[in-house]
Amino acid sequence: MPTSIKPNGQIAGHYGPGELATVVFERDIGEAGHYPFTRGVHADMYRGRLWTMRQFAGFGTARETNKRFRFLLDQGQSGLSTAFDLPTLMGLDSDDSRSVGEVGRLGVAVDTVDDFHTLFETIDLEQISVSMTINAPAAIVMAFYLAAAQERGFDWKKLRGTIQNDILKEFHAQNEIVFPPEPSVRLVVDLIEFCARYVPQWNTVSISGYHIREAGSTAVQELAFTLADGLHYVDETLRRGLPIDSFAPRLSFFFNAHNDLFEEIAKYRAARRLWAELMRETYGATDPASWKLRFHAQTAGCSLQDRQPEVNLIRVAYQALAAVLGGCQSLHTNSMDETLALPTEHAVTLALRTQQVLAYETGVTKTVDPIGGSYFVESLTQQMHDDAEGYFERIRSYGGMLGAIDAGFFRREIAESAYQYQRSVDQDDNVIVGVNRFVQPDEVRVETLQVDASVENTQVESLRCIKSARSASDVLRTLAEVRQVAAAGGNTFPALIEAAKARVTIGELVKGLADVFGRQSLHEQ
Amino acid sequence: MTTTTDSPTTTPTTGDKPTAHVRIVLAKVGLDGHDRGIKVVARGLRDAGFHVIYGGIWQSPAAVAQAVLDEDAQWLGISLLNGAHLTLIPQVVEALRQRGLLDVRLVLGGIVPPRDIPALTEIGVAAIFGPGTSVAEIAASLQSTSARITNVAELLVSFRQRDRRSLSRLLTMIAAGQQLGDIRDWLHANRPANDASAKNNFRTIAFTGNGGVGKSSLIARLVAELRSQGYTVAVLSCDPQSPITGGALLGDRIRMSDCLPDEGVFIRSLPVTSGSQGIASNLDLMSQALERFGFDIVLIETAGTGQGDIAVRNFADALVLVMQPESGDSIQWEKAGLLEIADVIVVHKSDLPGAERMESELREQLSLPGHHPAALIRVSAAKNTGIPELWEAISHPSFHRVGTAPRVFPKA
Repeated sequence: MPTSIKPNGQIAGHYGPGELATVVFERDIGEAGHYPFTRGVHADMYRGRLWTMRQFAGFGTARETNKRFRFLLDQGQSGLSTAFDLPTLMGLDSDDSRSVGEVGRLGVAVDTVDDFHTLFETIDLEQISVSMTINAPAAIVMAFYLAAAQERGFDWKKLRGTIQNDILKEFHAQNEIVFPPEPSVRLVVDLIEFCARYVPQWNTVSISGYHIREAGSTAVQELAFTLADGLHYVDETLRRGLPIDSFAPRLSFFFNAHNDLFEEIAKYRAARRLWAELMRETYGATDPASWKLRFHAQTAGCSLQDRQPEVNLIRVAYQALAAVLGGCQSLHTNSMDETLALPTEHAVTLALRTQQVLAYETGVTKTVDPIGGSYFVESLTQQMHDDAEGYFERIRSYGGMLGAIDAGFFRREIAESAYQYQRSVDQDDNVIVGVNRFVQPDEVRVETLQVDASVENTQVESLRCIKSARSASDVLRTLAEVRQVAAAGGNTFPALIEAAKARVTIGELVKGLADVFGRQSLHEQ
Repeated sequence: MTTTTDSPTTTPTTGDKPTAHVRIVLAKVGLDGHDRGIKVVARGLRDAGFHVIYGGIWQSPAAVAQAVLDEDAQWLGISLLNGAHLTLIPQVVEALRQRGLLDVRLVLGGIVPPRDIPALTEIGVAAIFGPGTSVAEIAASLQSTSARITNVAELLVSFRQRDRRSLSRLLTMIAAGQQLGDIRDWLHANRPANDASAKNNFRTIAFTGNGGVGKSSLIARLVAELRSQGYTVAVLSCDPQSPITGGALLGDRIRMSDCLPDEGVFIRSLPVTSGSQGIASNLDLMSQALERFGFDIVLIETAGTGQGDIAVRNFADALVLVMQPESGDSIQWEKAGLLEIADVIVVHKSDLPGAERMESELREQLSLPGHHPAALIRVSAAKNTGIPELWEAISHPSFHRVGTAPRVFPKA
């Protein structure tokens, strides 16, 4: 039993009607497409439309990633998902001394709006939905995307996609942080506010439990911390004066799909129910779209092993099954070789095929919420719902989200769970096939992808060309405007988009904002 | 990495707890912040009896090498999940070489494609631990190091020549209680010529206060302030050691790493055994060694609070008590008598609600007739406010106890 419901949580040997004595069907479960959406956000679920098969991709230059995107679309993928390299995630240009060795390594390197033109070349942005995984500089990257779309003549109102834009989980788990918590959240809200008005089909935040889980949390911690993050964004956007129903429908979620099948299914169900209850009862949202928790799922990277890597294919298939039985709206399946390197085309194709087999061969899509009504799953759902509420209370006791971050609450909780999990594996209480049991001494090595080492030079050279061709006075003027708006407290988006069009780089914009906001110090780590 | 060392060594360890004194620095270099693995390993090694100095994320190769040097570590563990190992690890090895640390054993954890392993082994990486490696496997492979026995006379010769590694090694010996008599005699005999006149100079400042009150962050800010004023600064940072395994996870350094690498800053993390009152043994000698080496100011961070505060007060030139609002700290310290011996009282996290009230309560208490005069300062390390005022209070004579000469700090 790899991931207990709660620390020391126990699963009973049998479940029956007795466990559901306090559960009221209409109130706590309901039909799919109806409040509280425990069974799914759509009445017809996958009978109406399959989930979006969206494989996260990005490496090297925008040119190379564009090629991978087009390959994936040719293979039948229905949406794009962009991985940026670490310098970009940290708001650094490719020619920054801190970026050396990391340009284009774990994702695509982008510096200016021109890289966005290349990245989506020949792809119709009014037809294909695009997801971008970026957080600390999310506002800047979104401004680049919108500027590029406008320059290509696309209508912002028709753009569909998602930007992760979830800085809180970076403070809890992933550490891709630039600014202190308060101005970081302010930028998140700037994006929510701007898109609510001008890019109405865009999912403005992908409130993410994925990374919290990857950092070692339990399933219930993932559930509780993610929803708590979402509530903080809601609170801050309300403070900005936006009515709840003007932005809540565009908040989306992103969860992990880990090994424990039923626990994961219960987690997604509990998440939908909790969010619906909070939005309708606590926040008074009246638009049913505000109540619906829509989520992307990704299979658990941390569950992959470098021993017998082909066995990862099997893990991923079961995890994907959990996500689909749990009613996800889109799904990324990991490739078997990701503990060794970035995935090869062969490995990515197999990962996508895993979803296609699930969708077209297994029959799990034939009926809505086939698992609903299981004594076990409904009971687990109720338990996770209640346990998550317990965590909300603990967060409140720290004076809310920022107080709990400051007190190190989330980091401590996650690190403790990660340690307990590792201990249980080391003591063989948890079996990991091929690692602590069924070990194979002579393993076959799989082929791995090699990122071309010349990427960094190519990217730095192209950045140099852009810098020498742009108007220095436009750069200074638009950067000054960004600083001024940041200091004055207005929405930064119009200024960021103007700067993007002047070919100001991501690093220059981050520095401009940091001059006003300050930088998050390592002291707070 | 070669196995020869630059100091007389090489008795293989045998005996009950060979790992009890193995010091390992763990850190991440580059931009990647995924720290689940390194944190689990840090804690696992602590539980296996290691003294783990956790350096945190985003470290430069030069800062890592300085950590290894100043912490006198035998092992360095680097975690990398960013794919940049072929760029960053050679830089780490080069930084170690420049510091004369090629005898320190380097291990990696993270994602390294098999084809890259030979290149890393070639430049001296002793082992690479991928996903799925158990902490026990890692601990076992780190234990095959050798104990170091040092000839104190030779060490003191190179110490006098300002060899930083000798300073570091000397502190290790003092911490372990080895050849204390010789070291004490030598330090006494080699005190500066003007020692008599400089007797009243404040050089050693101790910081105490409950865990979580932010002592390390406060000290980090003060270090930056002192460096900007031209002082060289050493920090002795105490953290508790497990009474069961003798292992320790020493993490205060993380909060102080912003300023590194910097030759003018020396940070040593010290495990404190339970029952030793919150401070490491022989801190007074360590402080003297750092002074003799040439550091202008020594900052001591206790491992919390305890009876040791009284002991530290006996050799430190000033005692700073750090509290935070709405913690009940002020009542507790009044009862414990700490308000009686503190020279400076810091209301930390002064941006939190309740700071003002705490300050006025304390002010009232301190102004009672007959109360020992102490300065009261509000500081926020997070907002970087109150740091110059804190230093002013520590060094300013008007806050000083009656009868002590003004504090004058010679700069390096």
